[in-house]
Amino acid sequence: MHEVAVAGGILDAVRAEAAARKPARAVKVGVRIGEMAGIDPESLAFCFEALVQGTDLEPLELDIERGSADELEFCHLELEPT
Amino acid sequence: MNRVAMERKVLSENERAAAELRAEFARHGVFAVNLIGSPGSGKTALLERTLECYDSARRVAVLTGDIQTDADATRLARYGFPVRQITTAGACHLDARMVRRALEGWDVAAIDLLFIENVGNLVCPTSYDLGEAHKIVLLSVTEGEEKPLKYPGIFFKSDLMAITKVDLLPYVPFQAHVAEANARSIHPNIEIVRVSSTLKTGLDGWLEWIDRRASAIPAQ
Repeated sequence: MHEVAVAGGILDAVRAEAAARKPARAVKVGVRIGEMAGIDPESLAFCFEALVQGTDLEPLELDIERGSADELEFCHLELEPT
Repeated sequence: MNRVAMERKVLSENERAAAELRAEFARHGVFAVNLIGSPGSGKTALLERTLECYDSARRVAVLTGDIQTDADATRLARYGFPVRQITTAGACHLDARMVRRALEGWDVAAIDLLFIENVGNLVCPTSYDLGEAHKIVLLSVTEGEEKPLKYPGIFFKSDLMAITKVDLLPYVPFQAHVAEANARSIHPNIEIVRVSSTLKTGLDGWLEWIDRRASAIPAQ
């Protein structure tokens, strides 16, 4: 159930990162999730999509990579100029 | 398209708050443990027996998390030590900021041992560092011995597994040695104690583990 909170945290970080690199719009954000991180990738993807809908970040994509152990980290952000 | 590296943790806000707590605990010589287990696994009962065993001079305090009610704080306050309830109002886990707020007004320097009882849940609390020295996972014999395999994250991150309600072993199909082998297949170095809060058996091993690990924290 905490995937909603995690998805919210991802959006906050993306917003901050994109604002710091203006003028740019975030297109895709990549996160690495280990099997021991206690995060269900499918559930996170679902929550992420639900939270992005109707916001300034739409249509931001989430790219989930399998990480090691309890890793729960950002890996990259794709931006396009606005 | 411009692709930039983002090298940080997803829960970096919580990580920052947890690091602050950990530094504060270290500064004041506080040994903090984070108790995690399913609803009904016996977290509060084990804490009741623990507090009952402690001398009133012991500088111990408890934070107990639940989604609703202060029932657990009421149970735990009977032993005369400082106890505070954290009510998460829906959140399925404690985070470091909740712990920070709950400590406000307490003299942290006057605490040597802090028990943090998390919300009953084997999944979500796994992701949130509370600044504790150790996570401790509880597994009761009325659950299944395959739980460490089904919920590997928390067994991977916990330094101790307490098998609780062992007085019920004759009445349930739970095989403790299988549960232990499963936990060790996820985390080979996990330490294990078996306790019954009802019959007060196995508490020596549990209390000894706490004291041993707490003594690794320099006294102030």
